[in-house]
Amino acid sequence: MSDSRVLLSIENLKKYFPLTGGVFRKVIGMVHAVDDVTLDIYRGETIGVVGESGCGKTTLGRTILRLLDATAGKITFMGRDITHVKGSDLRAIRREMQIVFQDPMASLDPRVTIKNSVGEPLLINGVARGPRMRAMVLDLLQKVGLTEDHLNRFPHEFSGGQRQRICIARTLALNPKFVVMDEPTSSTDVSVQAQTLNLMKDLQDEFGLTYMFISHNLSVVKHMSDRLAVMYLGKIVELTPEDIFRKPLHPYTFALVSAVPVPDPRFSGRAVILSGEVPSPINPPTGCRFHPRCIFAQEICSSEEPLLRDMGDGHLVACHFAGELDFGRSAQMEYARAAEAEAS
Amino acid sequence: MSQSQDLVLSIKGLTTNFYTYEGVVKALDGIELSLKRGDTMGVVGETGCGKSVTAKCVLRLIEPPGRIDGGQILFYDRDPKTGETQETDIVQLTPLEMLSIRGNRIAIVFQDPATYPNPVFRIGAQIAEVVTLHQDLGREALEVRIKELEESLKNSPSPEHQAKIREQIEHYVSMLENPPKPDRKYARKAAWAKAVDMLRLVRMPSPDQIANQYPHELSGGMRQRALIAMALACNPSILICDEATTALDVTVQAQVLNLLNILKKEIGASILIITHDLGVVAETCNSVTVMYAGTTVESAGTKQLFENPVHPYTIGLLTAIPKLHENKERLDQIPGTVPNLINPPTGCRFHPRCAFATDICVSDRPSLEEVLPGHYVACHHPQGNL
Repeated sequence: MSDSRVLLSIENLKKYFPLTGGVFRKVIGMVHAVDDVTLDIYRGETIGVVGESGCGKTTLGRTILRLLDATAGKITFMGRDITHVKGSDLRAIRREMQIVFQDPMASLDPRVTIKNSVGEPLLINGVARGPRMRAMVLDLLQKVGLTEDHLNRFPHEFSGGQRQRICIARTLALNPKFVVMDEPTSSTDVSVQAQTLNLMKDLQDEFGLTYMFISHNLSVVKHMSDRLAVMYLGKIVELTPEDIFRKPLHPYTFALVSAVPVPDPRFSGRAVILSGEVPSPINPPTGCRFHPRCIFAQEICSSEEPLLRDMGDGHLVACHFAGELDFGRSAQMEYARAAEAEAS
Repeated sequence: MSQSQDLVLSIKGLTTNFYTYEGVVKALDGIELSLKRGDTMGVVGETGCGKSVTAKCVLRLIEPPGRIDGGQILFYDRDPKTGETQETDIVQLTPLEMLSIRGNRIAIVFQDPATYPNPVFRIGAQIAEVVTLHQDLGREALEVRIKELEESLKNSPSPEHQAKIREQIEHYVSMLENPPKPDRKYARKAAWAKAVDMLRLVRMPSPDQIANQYPHELSGGMRQRALIAMALACNPSILICDEATTALDVTVQAQVLNLLNILKKEIGASILIITHDLGVVAETCNSVTVMYAGTTVESAGTKQLFENPVHPYTIGLLTAIPKLHENKERLDQIPGTVPNLINPPTGCRFHPRCAFATDICVSDRPSLEEVLPGHYVACHHPQGNL
């Protein structure tokens, strides 16, 4: 673990939520939200995390930030084990790691002005107060494209996109190294989403940030990320530095990619329709967790759990038959091919 | 009215305002939309462009402080028995008259499958309610009754008893031609059977069992399918899907869109799909209407619109979505934000964000004109290949 490029590394991270029932609130089961995830995050990169609802992507982000306590496993941040740090040590680490939530309206106090909302982290950590805080807040707001007039306004006076910018400004107040973006654009419109995504990229270059970008929108994650992790039922099934749609090796990734509607009517109706829905994480299927919905499933899939294997160039896949399966071509691939042909 | 022959819905100059304390929100300002019979049309636009308000106007679900202040919503309903087409202006109907159209001839599926089914009633009962409310179940109730009698005929002990049942069956069969008002008990049974049929139509596994379940026992995708079944229960002329797949995961969304594509062929209803996702439009619709800030900006066939967008807003919308295959550093963005509809911009409502805007855009409102066959645009400076 002495690789200096690694900013944060997690090993065999698990987060189970107990399920209680009965008169004495006895633990009757466990929700396996994050189950045995190992991941290295490099300095300056954006790691994207995609998956359907309930796959544990948000829990993963929160557990890494110590907003939730891990059930098992180890989190190393800048060479230091932070899995069990407490008190002022934890607070010091929190300055380095921040999060942007999905709903900006819910994460801003409606009765606090923007100046005080953005300035609060500065105040709490004793960085600045009074006129100096105001100057710093103004500087941050200008970085995200807001002006001095906005300082004394309240959250309800802003549009959704502006509110998200305010939240981003607040996360940047303490000059963090690592920021988790938890579905930052899923509540905004297409045109505003483009603005927010561009802003995030600009800020990453300016502040030298490392992002973990969590979203269910494959196209957005793909646009933002250097590497992409696909999660299914608490596990990473595929981790790739390449274009995920070009060379998916896991059947789930392929189905996920092909289910994204292509914004071109020439390629409609070619989605691979997965049967059923995501099973409950309380009693996840044995073996490969995807096997009940997988069209390629064989006997071994229900008995043995596939481990993440390196398929070359850091492309990791957890599938018994990785590289041996022929998925055919998805609409996305055809669309890309056509777009490339048109461009050349 | 030769054109209206193949239309099922035609919205002309629809204007809807919301009278709030902060001022009059001009939510819809002269919407133009026409839906052909058997077509699937997508209505796209960003939050606040009025796409959901349009849907609610069509069903007359606008409540104070909102009010429909002008325009026409012409609904050409074809009687399934006689084949005659009847023109109705929905704006002029009384609330009572509207009851026979809403949920019956025009049905809607809303966005959030978690909140729309009533949590305390079984799925089957909720679908059956729609059926009992709108359909005269006389014939179906008689059929159920005859079927039950035939069952009991098999188990009947004595010949006299059998003769009695046969007599009853004959009596009911003779009534089939001209069924009377159904008996409550048998109408309920007939409606329930219809509900199970509807669940089967939307490809629900074991529909009998699902009909007996409560909404919380179903997953999001199944709930949405149950809502589609409910909407289709009365064979509507128009099915409106208001962001019907937005709350679903992509793989489940693909299932529902696939189902809509199949049902479209089976039921022969015209479908209006309201969405902000251009991918969904490309996947399911054969024509598109693009809305911006309460106005219709462009309307064309899906292929035409995606290949040759003409309005600057449509072009911006198409380029602002990140695409899976592209490796772009930055996305093309439309500057600014959607305007406040209390004080909408003068002239063309898009002009403050438009790169091609000139003086005329500030002063004059462009009207919707046909620039290419079947391709309508409201813009002073249309782009694209004309």
